[in-house]
Amino acid sequence: MALQDICNFQSVFEDRLTTEYPAVPHGKKIPSNYVSGLPFSNNKSLFHFYIPVAEYLDESPIQFGQISTVQNCSAVSSEDPFLTSSSLPTCLPFASSQSVPLPFPMAHGTTTLAFMFQGGVMAAADTRSSCSGLVACPASQKILPIHSHLVGLTSGTSADCALWKRILARELRLYQLRHGRRLSTSGAAKLLSHMLHPFKGTELCVAATLCGWDGGEQKNFVDSTNAKVSLAKDERFSFSQQCSIRKKMNLSGPRLFYVCSDGTRLRGMLFSVGSGSPYAYSILDQGVHWGLTVDEAKSIAREAVYRATYRDAYSGNCVDMYHITSKGWTRRNREDLKEEYYREKERRKHEKTERRDVAFSD
Amino acid sequence: MAIFDVSGYKKYCELREQILPAGLTHLVDRTNHYNFGTKTQEFAVPPGVDPSGFLKSCNHDGGVCIEMNHGTTTLAFKFKHGVIVAVDSRASAGNYLASKDANKVIEINSYLLGTMSGSAADCQHWERLLAKECRLYRLRNNHRISVAAASKLLSNMMLGYRGMGLSMGSMICGWDKQGPGLYYVDDNGTRLSGRMFSTGCGNSYAYGVVDSGYREDMTVEEAYELGRRGITHATHRDAYSGGVVNMYHMREDGWIKVCKDDVSELIHRYRKGIASLISV
Repeated sequence: MALQDICNFQSVFEDRLTTEYPAVPHGKKIPSNYVSGLPFSNNKSLFHFYIPVAEYLDESPIQFGQISTVQNCSAVSSEDPFLTSSSLPTCLPFASSQSVPLPFPMAHGTTTLAFMFQGGVMAAADTRSSCSGLVACPASQKILPIHSHLVGLTSGTSADCALWKRILARELRLYQLRHGRRLSTSGAAKLLSHMLHPFKGTELCVAATLCGWDGGEQKNFVDSTNAKVSLAKDERFSFSQQCSIRKKMNLSGPRLFYVCSDGTRLRGMLFSVGSGSPYAYSILDQGVHWGLTVDEAKSIAREAVYRATYRDAYSGNCVDMYHITSKGWTRRNREDLKEEYYREKERRKHEKTERRDVAFSD
Repeated sequence: MAIFDVSGYKKYCELREQILPAGLTHLVDRTNHYNFGTKTQEFAVPPGVDPSGFLKSCNHDGGVCIEMNHGTTTLAFKFKHGVIVAVDSRASAGNYLASKDANKVIEINSYLLGTMSGSAADCQHWERLLAKECRLYRLRNNHRISVAAASKLLSNMMLGYRGMGLSMGSMICGWDKQGPGLYYVDDNGTRLSGRMFSTGCGNSYAYGVVDSGYREDMTVEEAYELGRRGITHATHRDAYSGGVVNMYHMREDGWIKVCKDDVSELIHRYRKGIASLISV
């Protein structure tokens, strides 16, 4: 595949196999080659993750129950050091067989959402990072900019998402330097999906929504100042007609892709991911359509995240919003939702007292 | 019951226990196949059968996975003019749609309604039993049963069979001397009073819509629209909900059936309509 050639996909794995598994006849644990063990120390080590090898784990007083099947794997690989990349999956479990079982259960809770409309892409997410019952961080960032016209929303394990976003950002920058143009959102989604595929079946959990704008600055597409003018134009067409029109001019414009670590890669107009997503979906289904103005889109996104945080225990704290247009992404100030809770509580109290007054006056 | 205590009436099995010596208790007449449900609200189960023990062995660790999903969406909320009850009408058996026109609201009497989610058989049986008890209460005490008491009866029935595999999530809605009443009763024995509930696997979608649009001082038409939207958007996203929206409005003088709208038409109307809406 062209993408693989560009990123030296094949050669990465061949190199890794030859350098990392010298023939070790006896059952000693292979100390990892320190030079190549540094994460991403050279351009060939795309998947050279520094695996903290078992020496100190053995001596650790906290027995995490590490599995010592290192000897078997090394015996197998030493017989055949020049494995082709097609048999790669047999080698990667080597890495995960040394996995440390988690000492406590992790739960993935969040609310992230993104939708396309005439003014670009609107992305919103809450800011709570939870760890089973504990709120590990009430101010985490789930929307990570990848480059000036691409933003990724993360859901799943925070560490995995942050790492893979950085890997993706690096690869996209390399592509841009080599070819003089930005990779399209579709290409970025495909790249991410292929990078995640070898880890299918492991405990990696990444559910990312990529929101971007392809192509150069468009004068045809409206920005917020001209919203009203073209709104009238769009409203003449029905929803399905608008879709077919957009398909015709599909070289540039807003794009939205959902990529998951189990291999899913979907293109769409509206996505919401996480434990709070059902609550957000119903609000978005009610109000999202192509002809929204930017302000309306912002308020719908905010309301959807607010409702999800209202009902879902694993979502909460603040809401982040990013708006991607042809000029790039802009970030709205982080808003603390507890103000909104208090305002709503006041409103309900006010309604109740009004009702009581009416009842008394009857 | 009170009159039994007053008149010294003893249950037949108590009498037998007194006659027979202690070691022969197995000869005491227990609830059996022929008399269950008539004298006592018990199910006849052969001695030695332990439903809760059996069910404990049927869990994920044992390799068996009996999932009791409530595949439906029902919602109910109280507002100034009473209680709105809205349910979908899809009955599924695993992946098969058993019915697209199931009735998930039981009209206990003219001022009490019960919704059903979970196992259809459990819901129908226990709510009809509840209807019988409510009628008996009315005849014995010459005044209507309150919503709190009716929901308590149902909750106690559930507690009697706790852990034995019942699956029922129901909302008891009514209007009594204290005004509009709404209770959520569960197969675990949970009984909660509240202003708004939604049950079933589509409940999260309905919560989003109703939380967002709810106001205490809504007009009746706005409340109808909110109930319809809640069910419609839930059926749009949830695979186990669908069919039609059955909506009831509980008023001071009893309930009325408001509508029975097909959700596919409703969602089409909503999607087409939002392009021309200025504000919802």
